[in-house]
Amino acid sequence: MKTSSTLRLVVMRELRERGRSAAYIASTIITTVLILLAILLPTLLSGSTDYSIGMVGTGNQEIVDLAIDIENTDAEPDQETQFSVTTLESVEAAEEALSSEEIDAALVNGSEILLRSASGASGDDLSGLLQYAASTLEIDRLVATAGSDADVVDILAGEPLGLRTLEGVASEENQARTVIAYGGLMLMYIAVLSYGAWTLTGVTEEKSNRVVEVLLATVKPWQLLAGKVIGIGALGLAQFVFTAVAALVTLRVAGTFDLPAFPTDSLVMLILWFLLGFAMYSLLFGAAGSLVSRMEDAQSASTPLTLVALVGFFMSFLVLDDPDGVLAIVMTYVPLTAPFVVPVRFALESISMVALIGSVVVAIGFIIGTTFLAGRVYAGGLLQFGSKLKWREALQSSDL
Amino acid sequence: MLQMQDLTKSYGDVVALDGCTFAVGPGQMLGFLGPNGSGKTTTMRAVFGLIRLDRGAVTLNGNPISPNDRLAFGYMPEQRGLYPKMKAGDQLAYLGALHGMEQAEARRAGLQLLDELGLADRAEDPVEELSFGNQQRVQLAAALVHDPSVLVLDEPFNGLDPIGAETMANVLRQRAQNGATVIFSSHQLDMVEDLCEEVAVINAGRIVMEGNVRDLKAASPHRVIEFESSNGYAAVLDQLDGVITTSFDGHRHTVIVPAELDVRQVLNRADSDSGIQHISYSTPSLSQLFKEAVA
Ligand SMILES: Nc1ncnc2c1ncn2[C@@H]1O[C@H](COP(=O)(O)OP(=O)(O)OP(=O)(O)O)[C@@H](O)[C@H]1O
Ligand SMILES: [Mg+2]
Repeated sequence: MKTSSTLRLVVMRELRERGRSAAYIASTIITTVLILLAILLPTLLSGSTDYSIGMVGTGNQEIVDLAIDIENTDAEPDQETQFSVTTLESVEAAEEALSSEEIDAALVNGSEILLRSASGASGDDLSGLLQYAASTLEIDRLVATAGSDADVVDILAGEPLGLRTLEGVASEENQARTVIAYGGLMLMYIAVLSYGAWTLTGVTEEKSNRVVEVLLATVKPWQLLAGKVIGIGALGLAQFVFTAVAALVTLRVAGTFDLPAFPTDSLVMLILWFLLGFAMYSLLFGAAGSLVSRMEDAQSASTPLTLVALVGFFMSFLVLDDPDGVLAIVMTYVPLTAPFVVPVRFALESISMVALIGSVVVAIGFIIGTTFLAGRVYAGGLLQFGSKLKWREALQSSDL
Repeated sequence: MLQMQDLTKSYGDVVALDGCTFAVGPGQMLGFLGPNGSGKTTTMRAVFGLIRLDRGAVTLNGNPISPNDRLAFGYMPEQRGLYPKMKAGDQLAYLGALHGMEQAEARRAGLQLLDELGLADRAEDPVEELSFGNQQRVQLAAALVHDPSVLVLDEPFNGLDPIGAETMANVLRQRAQNGATVIFSSHQLDMVEDLCEEVAVINAGRIVMEGNVRDLKAASPHRVIEFESSNGYAAVLDQLDGVITTSFDGHRHTVIVPAELDVRQVLNRADSDSGIQHISYSTPSLSQLFKEAVA
């Protein structure tokens, strides 16, 4: 029989049996519910938002009045958003008020918005509102002075007020990239560990209930391992995408905070590295699972791997602060840390094309090598029952 | 012809197989016997390439066994194992497909086998919900679903009730009649004696006896005389010329004598007293041959 059809059978079994298992369905539902709760709770609890605006200089009142009008047009009287407006002496005073969180945003001379940071949720909404009010005023004035249509379109498309944060000038895209870098890093870590754990327990399960001897009479160990990794990877990715889509949709509908438009290249990079990272860790988790005969021992067999992932994860936070540093560059080429580092560096635009390709090549090479090596450990481990084997013992005793 | 040729395998200092050599042909059913730890399971694993031999090889019709050949092999390992949460029918369909069958065909064959084994109504149940004996039957079905031409079963009668054992025996007999090569190991020698024409006995990794059961018995240098009597004759019988051993269980005497010994000599001596009944003179049982062989 052809290798590909054996592999396909193993993958299909994994998809069918695991995909409709209560555990898989429950974990998908629970994850989704938890994420949705995390998104919805702040909105549900807070009700309406109150804003506090600081004004510096002249030409601000008109914009602020209109913004308040717009915000509360359709609101019931008792649900109106409350605005507190203060006049401040200088830009420095405004910055101080921002840092001490006395105000959410400051409007300077009717031409610039000053925010604390680019991702402060209520500040974002407020600045959008001010922008809208400012462009409405601009259009009114243009209409009054009979300006051309082209100007109107310009105004509608652009943002009439300048934007500055205490942290410097922030563009929407930068903001999105930071979100991706942080969020992606978290998700990568969670996904690699939790789906890796599925592979681990799946392999130990087959060994502990001894079905493996029947299987190995016709299936090669690497086919069994690869089939499991592919099957679980697909189910993991499906769950991952399902919860992510549910979260994004809820975010848009609930409007907890404005979603920046995510740069597609960053998303693609995240998915690519999810697959690479998952493959590397799952192969190793699978090999670890083959070393023990009882489910109780599975966790301890995988401890070294979990530690590596943990170290990679924490070191990536250092990379977030210094994406061009030596640590970042080294970790890019270390296969087991690359999945945590490369997407971050890519999102922060601090990795060159050459380095990127290099890291992918190293990762793929590692995966091929691991398939072979983990396959051997797996083959050596599967039919040795009893106490926990060492990696080296399994490698040496590989009989298949 | 499935040939084990000089199979040798050590685990560290433990010699599991030490030049084990024997053969089974199509249509034959061979009982593979041996004390605990003698190397039966290791031999069977070698047939499926599950261990790397230090020396020797298993061949099929003179050729090394390829993965393709093994698609037509069926295996029931000593340590039973199926996916506990998978339905019996799905399980058989999967294993059939792994042996190269079409999915639909594999499913049909699996259901038919479950039916033959009296489990038609359990096809949709997860295996873990079946009783131990019924799991055994599913395990047998798993070894048979692809209608193998070589069937290797490691202690298939373990844990079966007498009816289950008979079902198992019938299935194996029928497969052999249809031309399959069947090897199974067992410690139930009486059962093997009834079921098999051929046996191979392994001890400490070597074959110590092999051949047709009837021939082996006839070739034995010993005969067994048994009779019942209320009196103990052991002491008297022991004194007789040529008697090898005697035993008395309080009820029945068993006397082992050389094959050429004139049996009347023993009986005359015993006959001097009354109360002797149920005299039998026979070739040794398989279990006696076994004990001698592995002594
Ligand atoms: N994986 C292994 N590691 C170490 N020793 C092993 C291994 N497998 C078998 N052995 C040893 O090889 C010898 C033969 O074992 P095997 O399981 O083949 O015996 P067996 O005839 O099947 O016994 P039983 O009737 O108890 O099932 C035993 O001494 C056993 O301890
Ligand atoms: Mg055994």
